[in-house]
Amino acid sequence: MKLKKILFSSTFITIVWIVLLCSIWELEALHIEQIKRTPEKVFPHLMQIFESIADPKIISNDQTSIELVLTNAYATLERAGIGFLIGALSGFILALLMKFSGIIEKIAFPYLMLIQMIPILGMAPIVFAITQDIGVSRIVISGVLTFYPVAANTLAGLKSVSAENENLFRSYSANVFQTYTKLYIPTSIPFLFTGLKISAPLAITASILVDTLQGGVGLGCLLSQSLKGGMSPFVFWQIIFLSAAIGILSLQVMVIAEKIIMSHKVRWNREKNKNLI
Amino acid sequence: MSNEITIKNVNMVYGEGGGHRELRNPARGTVALKDVNLDIKKGEFISLLGPSGCGKTTLLRIIANLQNQTSGNVEVAGGTPEQARKSRKYGIVFQSPVLQDWRTIRQNVELPLEISHYPKSKRHELSEAMLRLVGLEKFKDVYPNELSGGMQQRVGIARALIMQPEILLMDEPFSALDEFTRDKLQEDLLNIWSRSLCTVVFVTHNIAESVYLSDRVCVMSPRPGRLSAVIDIDLPRPRKLAMRDTVEFVEYVSKVRNSFEGI
Amino acid sequence: MKKTKISFSGVLLPLAFGALVLIIWQTELLHKIIGTNTFTLPLPTTIIRIIGENLDSISANAFDTIEVALIGLVLGSIIGYLISILAAIFPKWGSGGLKVIALLSAIPIIALAPVITNLTKDFSTIAPERSMFAKIVLVTLLSAVSMSVGVYRGLTDLKPFSEDLLQTYAATKFDIFIKLRLPNSVSYIFTALRVSIPTAIISTLIAEYFAEYITGVGRQIRENIITSQYSTAWAYITVACAIGIIAYMFLVLAERLYKKKKHKI
Repeated sequence: MKLKKILFSSTFITIVWIVLLCSIWELEALHIEQIKRTPEKVFPHLMQIFESIADPKIISNDQTSIELVLTNAYATLERAGIGFLIGALSGFILALLMKFSGIIEKIAFPYLMLIQMIPILGMAPIVFAITQDIGVSRIVISGVLTFYPVAANTLAGLKSVSAENENLFRSYSANVFQTYTKLYIPTSIPFLFTGLKISAPLAITASILVDTLQGGVGLGCLLSQSLKGGMSPFVFWQIIFLSAAIGILSLQVMVIAEKIIMSHKVRWNREKNKNLI
Repeated sequence: MSNEITIKNVNMVYGEGGGHRELRNPARGTVALKDVNLDIKKGEFISLLGPSGCGKTTLLRIIANLQNQTSGNVEVAGGTPEQARKSRKYGIVFQSPVLQDWRTIRQNVELPLEISHYPKSKRHELSEAMLRLVGLEKFKDVYPNELSGGMQQRVGIARALIMQPEILLMDEPFSALDEFTRDKLQEDLLNIWSRSLCTVVFVTHNIAESVYLSDRVCVMSPRPGRLSAVIDIDLPRPRKLAMRDTVEFVEYVSKVRNSFEGI
Repeated sequence: MKKTKISFSGVLLPLAFGALVLIIWQTELLHKIIGTNTFTLPLPTTIIRIIGENLDSISANAFDTIEVALIGLVLGSIIGYLISILAAIFPKWGSGGLKVIALLSAIPIIALAPVITNLTKDFSTIAPERSMFAKIVLVTLLSAVSMSVGVYRGLTDLKPFSEDLLQTYAATKFDIFIKLRLPNSVSYIFTALRVSIPTAIISTLIAEYFAEYITGVGRQIRENIITSQYSTAWAYITVACAIGIIAYMFLVLAERLYKKKKHKI
């Protein structure tokens, strides 16, 4: 009975899936090992990648490979973070303005839609050409990519306020400031997090991509160098795994932040779902 | 006794500008209220009773200054409804509790006080007393999601009453509750009202409920929405649930029901 | 009267705003504001002229990009849909698997592109062919992820009691699938496409950066900037935006048609 409970718990299922994915990886690695002369370049075993992380050999500027990768990752993450914060803040403010003023909403709405359709990441090189500064370009691109999901979702949240709630505040003749701080903004918070969850990995993708445009520091920059060769192929794989980990982690950070801030709301939603069943 | 609310020749036509988006009818010129005249006395408990589409909620919303009538005149406490709203004379309870789930019960009840900038100590004192009145003092620090529907509606009533409003407006507050909870809340409402002595305008589509609670039942009928009868309920107060089994009560119920037949 | 007034200001105001931006761009006021010159940020008229002059090579590159994005999108969406059906048949394991897939979608595209390029080297001895294959694999992968996660919700989030209703008629699981789950998932396909169409285009552009063979709108933006041909790069950016907007418009149109048809029934 107890065993059955463990077997069907969602954590167990997730673990089985991850094990399964790793096995597929290993099978492919075995296959590549047999047909390629330098298999570690194309598809190494997971173990080899982990071993390379622990490798104490110094490869550049007194740094082991993982130290080098981590230093660069920090640079990437920092700029992605700044862009993310600026983008999220301006997206949130625009949503508030759009809710507040019909004219602003009418002007901004089509362009908000347009941003979604335009391949912003493809514009990274030209943003770099205009700003002439790799750091600023990273922040701009991460910021713009963060901006749309946050603005669109927050606006949806602000509009989800029920008419009865609006009436309630009107009947107490609450002023505009009170209506926003006590009604609209709290209601929009879960929607804001939906936007943040979409945009956090995007901001990191953007930052890495902009890195590839120029030498210097950053994961993407290191990635281009490692692709050109001249470095241990495992540096490449460490970068790939670390980028993946950072992307997933950025999403998880948002999920955890949401859980902390919305603890009551989450409970409320669960209750609601229970009632449906 | 003086009049608290005076409604004179009020007409409401949707589709010709104005109106609330929820209720706005796409067909032009739908008459929601036609020539409504009604005087509500101070401290009176009045019900607006009728089937859906009779304009009872519209009339309540006009009194509450949540929308404006197309023509006619409404006077509340010697001024316009807007003046009454601005001077915070209203308490309002909706069909759903409309609680903010990120606030505790106490914080929800204190919301109107916060909006009116009451100091914290005063807010606590008032909410403490109000929660005791509605029997929720044990639950003041929990969140709305942890309460049953009936308890949530109690919180809504406590929130409406905490400012000691002159006028309590209730829009089908008990219609989403099961019958057992509804009975209890009706009795409680009468108890609370007898102590606060505010004027109550109570919208409902339940005949027994309107007879049990009110001093007068205003029967409304649809197409066009109008006031078709006003029936005085001369039952003694305080009223207990057992009163519903008396002959007088049943006669009032059938009298109200019969008033719909000619429509 | 009122309705026409609303849509009038809804169209006119944003258009006026767009025109204003174009004017300050054309009059070089924009260049002063962001501190650049007409060499890096050419005037709109110049960009249009360049597009006209290089129409042949631009359309050839645009065709390559659209081809990759479209094939990847279609293949990926079909695969993603099949995955979500499988997941809905075995919901206990399926939802867990999709949770892992959704997690993987947070992996930056840039980390995937070079890996896939390496892995697919043996596909063909001809560089353009294997390069295109690598790009398509990447786009397929990403489209499959967003489609499977999105449609799974459509297959499982049924209206309350609708499943109970069919069960009272002793409907089999297969019946419920055909009559309830599949129809319910259609509108979710459109929602998933809203995400995956822009993603497909962006991932095509990025895959082009890392591709072996130089072709496509995204790669041209980059190559032209490296050689300081900024106005040509801008011409390609304009084309990339146009592709994104047109693709999205097609989706909106298809969604409208579907809704219209549904209403008729």
